[in-house]
Amino acid sequence: MRVAVPDRSTMDKKPFRRGVSPPALIPYLVAGDPDLATTRRYLRLAASSGVFAVELGVPFSDPTADGPVIQEAARRSLRHETALSELLDWLGTIPPEELPPLYLMTYFNLFHHMGVESFCKKARSTGRVAGVVIPDLSFEDSRDYRPLFRSFGINLVGFVSPTTPVDRARRIVREARGFVYYVGLMGTTGASLSITPAVRDMVGQLKQWTALPVCLGFGVNEPRMAREILGFADGVIVGSRLVREEEDPGLWEKTFLEFVAECRKAEPRQ
Amino acid sequence: MSRESAAVEKHREAPRKGSPSLPDYRGYFGEFGGRFVSETLMPALLELEEAFRSAWRDSSFRKEFYGMLAEYSGRPTPLYLAESLSREMGGARIWLKREDLNHTGAHKITNAVGQALLARRMGKSRLIAETGAGQHGVATATVAAKLGFSCQIYMGSEDVRRQALNVFRMKLLGATVSPVDLGGRTLKDAISEALRDWSRTVGETHYLLGTAFGPHPFPLMVRTFQSVIGQEARRQFLRRVGALPEALVACVGGGSNAIGLFHPFVKDAGVRMYGVEAGGISISPGLHAARFAGGSVGVLQGTRTYVLQNPDGQIENTHSVSAGLDYSAVGPELAYYRNAGRIVFDSVGDDEALEAFRTLSRTEGIIPALESSHAVAYALRLARTLPRESNILVNLSGRGDKDVMEVSRILEGKGERL
Repeated sequence: MRVAVPDRSTMDKKPFRRGVSPPALIPYLVAGDPDLATTRRYLRLAASSGVFAVELGVPFSDPTADGPVIQEAARRSLRHETALSELLDWLGTIPPEELPPLYLMTYFNLFHHMGVESFCKKARSTGRVAGVVIPDLSFEDSRDYRPLFRSFGINLVGFVSPTTPVDRARRIVREARGFVYYVGLMGTTGASLSITPAVRDMVGQLKQWTALPVCLGFGVNEPRMAREILGFADGVIVGSRLVREEEDPGLWEKTFLEFVAECRKAEPRQ
Repeated sequence: MSRESAAVEKHREAPRKGSPSLPDYRGYFGEFGGRFVSETLMPALLELEEAFRSAWRDSSFRKEFYGMLAEYSGRPTPLYLAESLSREMGGARIWLKREDLNHTGAHKITNAVGQALLARRMGKSRLIAETGAGQHGVATATVAAKLGFSCQIYMGSEDVRRQALNVFRMKLLGATVSPVDLGGRTLKDAISEALRDWSRTVGETHYLLGTAFGPHPFPLMVRTFQSVIGQEARRQFLRRVGALPEALVACVGGGSNAIGLFHPFVKDAGVRMYGVEAGGISISPGLHAARFAGGSVGVLQGTRTYVLQNPDGQIENTHSVSAGLDYSAVGPELAYYRNAGRIVFDSVGDDEALEAFRTLSRTEGIIPALESSHAVAYALRLARTLPRESNILVNLSGRGDKDVMEVSRILEGKGERL
């Protein structure tokens, strides 16, 4: 079967160049919470605010890496049966200029159930998906799937955590595509991050090994913390803090724009 | 040479282990298994695997393990011929491997002892565990008390309700019991919560997973510890009967009592193996826990295996009268042997299990756990189809004291009185 490939994939909009590109803000949204019309509105605002990417969460029944806020949002979204394949169809109906570069985040079973290859084909044909973030696809198990994602041009983001030994981190970073997701704390999403020297050192180390943006996430719960992170990391991922407001568009937009404003003050740096 | 020792001698040559190459170095049994967990947990799993392999090579560790099983848990457990039950069924002879006579009342203590000794060797100070029926929670709380660990048990709030006695036992043993109010409020949700705890506390905590499930090396490690069941049973059978049984029967939740019994017999081609899943009310979504009958291959809580899921890939909730079988996925090694045609799986529903619960109590004076009652029920079906001289060995994985209140409630609901 021939796959229709649009001329311009959203992923090519802004290739990252350290020291030149603006620091990256990556908000996380749960698709379909409270409904897809609201998700679309949030995506449009994110696109017009010039974020590096949006991590679009696809709800899964058993989110083992997520804390209570994102669990609850996933539950709300699942009430109207948000599903991966239908979500791709839906994304395909949105004009590309209304979308930021998208990284779909969910647990491996949803890709596995759809079939990784079917997913890649469909994601590619919509031209709206830059990559995927899969917290429970370990570096070891991802070996079986990396070639597939690559052959379809879907970036598989690499995770590094505070427990990752240095030589392992190096191997993960080498295989990562799109960006490197440094989980700044031990635990689940929505805890509270503290920016320790160890966190700064690890980010510094990772930056030496890769030209991809090294982004810090988990527990970033206020705009000033995001800005502080952008003082040493290439990017910052904001999840639970925004998801908490998803049911109230006014509040979500206000909070999101606070993060955008604060992050704009950060300078590109080496 | 006596008949018994000749039989022991004859079978000594037969290979005693399952495929030594399984799982492979990445934790796969064929296409099943793996380590589908977050990066935060991966280094801990690699460390655990290394620690387990080195401990198991160390004869002093094995000696400590078997010593504690003998002195603390009362192993070996007896092999018992259920004569009255067999007579009443009028078919094959039914034998019970009396795992219910272990300390704390089920086979779960064996794995808890093994992993707790390993955790101590690794310098951990805290144990966490999930539990369904509460037997694994009690076993973990027990070894934590004995070996001086702090202990936290995650348990679905539905299970907390129906297994109140075990909740009290865990608290008495000094453990904290955290009810989990998510999803179906049963075992699956307790595992997710335990995984979340572990990713916060992985430095000082060992996650004492209770069944042959989850990410590698848990399926390997739990099977290794629980294989003492099958090793003993095989030896006992050869001594008593002078031959191996025609069939083995075990209930399957995650599958630790089943793989523990089956594994030492895997290469004995004449021994048929039957795994019994919970048929619940009926084999339709949400009303059962028969993964092989109603499931498909998926990835849940660290492993690739048969999973109950809806057309979108969302995990389905389950139902069984027995909390220990009430789970959406099954151990990867059992999935492998099932597809290889080595183990046959079938299911027994709530009512048939309750009937067997009462039959075994009445005929033998042994009150089985509701989990084990599923295996007993299936053995009764099987016995009727086999000649009188053949032998069926059932893993009586636990005792039923924990279940009597729930059974009484159910019988009352049906308007039945004893």
